[in-house]
Amino acid sequence: MNWKVLTAGAVITVPLVALLAEGFNRDPKLRSNALEGRQAPIFSLTTLDGDPFSLDEANGKPVVVNFWSTWCQPCKIEHPVLLRAAETYGPMGVHFVAVLYQDDASKARAYLNRSGSHWPTLEDPGGRTAIAYGVAGVPETFFIDASGTIVRKVSGPVSQEIMVTTLEQML
Amino acid sequence: MIPELGRAAVLLGLVACTTGAVTGMWAGKTGREDVWRWTRWAAYTFTGAIAFATLLMEYALITHDYSVKYVAEVGSNETPLAFTIVSLWSSLDGSILLWAFVLSIWSGIFAYKMRNQHPEHAPWALGSILAVGIFFTFMVSGIANPFERVLEPLTNGPGPNPLLQNHILMVIHPPTLYLGYVGMSVPFGMACAALLSGRMPTAWSRSIRRWMLVPWTCLTVGIILGGWWSYEVLGWGGYWAWDPVENASFLPWLTATAFIHSSMVMERREHLKGWTLALVMATFLLTLLGTFMTRSGVFNSVHSFTQSPIGPVFLGFLGFALVVCIILLAARVDLLTQPTTKLAGPWSREFAFLGNNLLFAAFTFTVLLGTLYPLLNEVLTDVQISVGAPYFNRMSVPICMGILFLMGVGPALPWGNSEPGVLASRLAVPAGLSVVILIGCLLAGLREPMALMTFALSGFAGAVTLRELTEPGRHRAATLGESLPKALLTTWRTGHRRAGGYVVHFGVVIIAVAIAASSVYRSETEMTLREGSTKSFMDYDITYTGSERQDEPHRWSRVANFEITKNGRDLGKAAPRLNHYKKMNQAIGTPTVISGWDEDLYLSLVQVDPEAKMASLSVVVEPLVWWLWFGGGVMLFGSLIAGWPSQRRREIA
Repeated sequence: MNWKVLTAGAVITVPLVALLAEGFNRDPKLRSNALEGRQAPIFSLTTLDGDPFSLDEANGKPVVVNFWSTWCQPCKIEHPVLLRAAETYGPMGVHFVAVLYQDDASKARAYLNRSGSHWPTLEDPGGRTAIAYGVAGVPETFFIDASGTIVRKVSGPVSQEIMVTTLEQML
Repeated sequence: MIPELGRAAVLLGLVACTTGAVTGMWAGKTGREDVWRWTRWAAYTFTGAIAFATLLMEYALITHDYSVKYVAEVGSNETPLAFTIVSLWSSLDGSILLWAFVLSIWSGIFAYKMRNQHPEHAPWALGSILAVGIFFTFMVSGIANPFERVLEPLTNGPGPNPLLQNHILMVIHPPTLYLGYVGMSVPFGMACAALLSGRMPTAWSRSIRRWMLVPWTCLTVGIILGGWWSYEVLGWGGYWAWDPVENASFLPWLTATAFIHSSMVMERREHLKGWTLALVMATFLLTLLGTFMTRSGVFNSVHSFTQSPIGPVFLGFLGFALVVCIILLAARVDLLTQPTTKLAGPWSREFAFLGNNLLFAAFTFTVLLGTLYPLLNEVLTDVQISVGAPYFNRMSVPICMGILFLMGVGPALPWGNSEPGVLASRLAVPAGLSVVILIGCLLAGLREPMALMTFALSGFAGAVTLRELTEPGRHRAATLGESLPKALLTTWRTGHRRAGGYVVHFGVVIIAVAIAASSVYRSETEMTLREGSTKSFMDYDITYTGSERQDEPHRWSRVANFEITKNGRDLGKAAPRLNHYKKMNQAIGTPTVISGWDEDLYLSLVQVDPEAKMASLSVVVEPLVWWLWFGGGVMLFGSLIAGWPSQRRREIA
């Protein structure tokens, strides 16, 4: 018996199988709902223009927090939906905030100049806010009501329909 | 009738492969010719039974027999015939049946080919392959039984996943991938045979290599077709996203590629036997891990099948296979004959292969870590994180550079010890060429370090490859006075394995250049056009001529029509579309790709408003993408040359 091979094998096998087995207790599709009904994590970040922004600023107003990046095609598909929603619901008091995810500020600035936006886009150094929100991939959108509770989390692009119904419920 | 008949065929297959697994081991242990013959017959029965079951399932799909559970899940009366046929692999249970089917075909071919060869090893090998078959057939007969009878059948079904009916590549990509993926069970069985018998003669290691080369080729083609499919279908203008499922197919490819190189050291120098066998086993285990990742519901991916009860069973099998491999390796590896010589020093081909293997191992580890890390982190800290494309790109680029560099250095080095001076003289011209390329790129205004490095290293590796391909022929022409083309052909024919290998290297060089160019020099924009208006991007003018609605039985589509010119030259019409499938609330786009040898124009429809006569488009211009598919073709061609049975062997057979 070659004990070196055996030990090396055990060192690989046991944690790997244990890890995968533990994975069964965690449904990746349910994961996204873990934050729903909880208080939204507070963040203070700076916008692409260098201005400070804190979630507290929304005090008492509903907020839509959208995590996105320029390398994500579904985010671009989602962009017109956000634009339209911000045009309609922004004047009704809903705050829209975008958080840039694993991306360069310069690319984001160039994209937003081309495609337009009516909301602050925040830089998230080290992805701390994304981690606090459990972002598993972009786009992900969090609907936070006036009391600061996460009402809904959408993974993947938000459709026009979901956007409107969720916002109507929140108002 | 079909549910019962299908189930019976699967059960017959289960009995056959269980019998064959037992008799194979018995024949291996005792060397009895009659038991070996039973084993082969068991394998043929396994092939026949599972092939029959698969044909029955196809028949049920085509005739819309909704009393069969699987047909009720994925069939529909409106789906076109081609997509009805391929819906065999559009959902979980069917894909496991396909797995069992491909495995049964491989075991049948292996049993037939080995009937008069390698009597010491072949029974052990076939026994091990059939043992793998037991698991998959067991799944098809029970927990993932696609033949379950629906007691009150409906008259129509939902149809297969829309993403899978969007492109004709879906017809060939999955079966090619499966041929490669499942085919890895054959070299795995052969590696088990080497360990079980405690002997690894050169003839057997050559044979393992040949049996690895075929599934490796299928896997290579399957991965490239997968990239092509996502490029043509998913609408974001990319071909690789480091999605868990893509990684699942890439991981065994990496270890199999490492094996193809280390097996040459094993054949020539008797070194790295244990390591090489471990690579074969790792390749097989990674195919199991990949299948688990896509079918257990533990990983979130665009491709993944829904949550299902097969996950835990699959994990049990994966754990069992891991334990068996490790115990086999630990208990038997020291029995294999040890090399009598020391491994040559750093200026040798052996050493270059060692470096290559380390890089491939590091690559495998990097991809595996990135794929498993989100789960690991969540289990340990309860915090979810995401490992996106940026991690994989950052980690893999330096490794790929190292591999390209060794592709140039390795072939230039002789087997056995040599002097640094030899290397310097052999690499002077290729290194000079790479400097010329670098200067040329800088003069042309290219500045991105990653692209410049790739182009320079590709020139280097390409030049060495070209010389290695032509040197024997040129030598022959000079010494025998033959014409150069004749001498080249003769040397390629006699040394087809070597020549094929270098053609594959050429394909890799082409692909490396295409990936670097298309990812670094990609430009994209979004535009909204009113009917009749024209907008420009790069060299292209895009005119929107209006949209139309197209109705088909299984979907309706909004097609937007554009006229495209490049620098005033007419490129024809483009008609990207948004497809709406029954029972799906999200539209799925079909982008239009106008492909050229220099660059692709990629148009993907974002939104159409027929009333306002507006259309929004995402436009991507990507250079050299076409060469990616071409490079894949070159790799396939090279593998065919390398794997073609040689004249002498065919005569013996």
